[in-house]
Amino acid sequence: MLTSGRYFLSGNVITAEAALLAGCRFYGGYPITPSSELMEHMSARIENEGGVFIQTEDEISAIAAVIGAAMTETPIVIVDVMRGGPSTGQVTVVSQGDVLQARFGSHGDYETIVLAPNSVQELFDLTIKAFNLSVMFRNPVILLSDAELAHMVEKVDVPEKIDIVGYNDYKIEGVPEFVPVGIGAKLAITGLTHNEKGYPVTTDVQVHRNLVTRIVNKIINNEPMISDVEIINPDAETIIVSYGISSRAAYPVLKKHKDVGLFRPRTLWPFPESKFKDIAKGKRIINVEMNLRGYGLEVERVGRKYGAKSFEFIKLIGGEVPRPSHIEEVL
Amino acid sequence: MEFFEFYRKDRWPHQFCPGCGLGTIMNAIYKAFNDLKMDINKTVFVSGIGCTGRVPGYINADSVHTTHGRALAYATGIKLARPDLNVIVISGDGDLFAIGGNHIIHAARRNIDIKVIAVNNATYGLTGGQLAPTTPYNMVTTTSPYGNREYPFALADLVAASGANYVARWTTAHPNQLVNSLKQAFTTRGFSFVEVISQCPVNFGRRNKMGDPVFHLRWIKEHSLPISKVSFDVKTPYDILDLNTKGIYIIGELVRRNRPVYGEILREEENATSIE
Amino acid sequence: MFPVINSDYCKGCNLCVEVCPKAVFVQGKNITPRGYFSPLVAYKERCTNINLKKGERILCEICWLTCPEHAIEFEVI
Repeated sequence: MLTSGRYFLSGNVITAEAALLAGCRFYGGYPITPSSELMEHMSARIENEGGVFIQTEDEISAIAAVIGAAMTETPIVIVDVMRGGPSTGQVTVVSQGDVLQARFGSHGDYETIVLAPNSVQELFDLTIKAFNLSVMFRNPVILLSDAELAHMVEKVDVPEKIDIVGYNDYKIEGVPEFVPVGIGAKLAITGLTHNEKGYPVTTDVQVHRNLVTRIVNKIINNEPMISDVEIINPDAETIIVSYGISSRAAYPVLKKHKDVGLFRPRTLWPFPESKFKDIAKGKRIINVEMNLRGYGLEVERVGRKYGAKSFEFIKLIGGEVPRPSHIEEVL
Repeated sequence: MEFFEFYRKDRWPHQFCPGCGLGTIMNAIYKAFNDLKMDINKTVFVSGIGCTGRVPGYINADSVHTTHGRALAYATGIKLARPDLNVIVISGDGDLFAIGGNHIIHAARRNIDIKVIAVNNATYGLTGGQLAPTTPYNMVTTTSPYGNREYPFALADLVAASGANYVARWTTAHPNQLVNSLKQAFTTRGFSFVEVISQCPVNFGRRNKMGDPVFHLRWIKEHSLPISKVSFDVKTPYDILDLNTKGIYIIGELVRRNRPVYGEILREEENATSIE
Repeated sequence: MFPVINSDYCKGCNLCVEVCPKAVFVQGKNITPRGYFSPLVAYKERCTNINLKKGERILCEICWLTCPEHAIEFEVI
């Protein structure tokens, strides 16, 4: 595994190495550009660390294999390397089109934790954080990488000591004790709505409410603990709200214009309301993204709730990465 | 182990219809498991959606009731993470071979050490009796009111061609042979597959003049042909499938092989026993 | 030993009547507490398979194995 020091590696390779450092010992995947290098690197490395690698016949069996292994006490982290869509889309071109899908893609009431790095160093740090959050909350965590970050090669500093969370290190309300499969606990696991014993009970209103509100609240109520944001110059009149590859355009703008600030969520979902509410009041909010309808919807909703003055949206699709000039045009 | 130590007594009697073949299969699974003295604490039962998918919920062991068709995908994950556990998949014909068709042929191809009990009742029973890829030609279901225009799969032969180590097909009218076959499947290394033709009197039989479970069981018995009584030209083994097309189930142990099992060579090389 | 039907579990499918090789069961008109018509153990003296080699009286137990509700138990005379 990577020892501490400075490395010069691409995003996909760093994500794989960070996962191994975080304790990942099971990888299930299906090749798709732009994430294939991550899988190829994992297939070479994970077995040296005593782990298991499987390339499955399709994406559905890949996530099913990962969840099956998770039931034997392994956290699950999904790495989503975004590319142009919809449908088969633009294979080798970047976008930020999966932002809403990472949170609202499935049916019913549930919560996800979604992390968005904006540099290769952050890919490293947030991969480790993803595994830790997944263990703490027993929830899938999605790491939203993208085609640019995955192939970018930058310097990465690997620290001496890496904090890895154990299953019983935290006592969080709504998160019960973890019981894995295969220790003789006779667990009844089912996708149907079930009571505390695990027996399917689908026609009782209260049973459903107990189950679903618990799994939703354990994330929503702990949002201040989960949220991680970068805030520069919060007192400025104008605040740029951006994340991932789009946020890199903001830094040169901030250097030149002293009356502009940046709110960059590293955790996209749950929306970092606890950190946003103090900043939003009376501000002019500029949202920069690489999609037509994405995070901006939530930014506008929460911004209005806390009294933001106005909203402007820079939405670039088709693979054009936001540049500082795009933002300066608006200013 | 007593019957009601293996099955959850607080959930008995089960929810299946009167005369359902699943009850017979549950007896057979208990008998095979008990005679072999397998360790219930080291066994995980995985299932999909359907009437058969409800069976592991009644077993007093770790049971994983997954999404439709994906039972083998989850079972692969569990087995790879904990190779020391016995993983048994109990699921229906529609779940395993229609939506889950892709997963089962790959699991058989990999020859991963998972046991599969596929209950074939020729229909989608739980949802009311719709057409399935195993419905015999011309039979009436709720989505083929004028008779089925498609020909059914031969499930066991499909799995055998994919590379499983042990493949057998029996019916609920042959419970003793079924028990022996299950015992063989549980002790074989590699992908073991037992298909059980079962009666579904309420949602399938009833629409085809076999509403009484007795009549449906008789129909199954009349349409079964032991493989020892089948004569076929060795040069064209696929002729055996023509019998399937005519609505005859060929029963018996179809395959007994000793192909290499997925992951075993790697484990021996590494001297690792499980992921800790 | 002879079979006994547990009327708390029997759902009246009559498969035992069908599969018994000695015709021990017949269809009945008794109503169980759950509202099913359960069969009767009409000829319990027929329930036997003598194993000539060992000279012992063993039971085939096909009714026990077939009964979908696990409603059949065996009692000693």
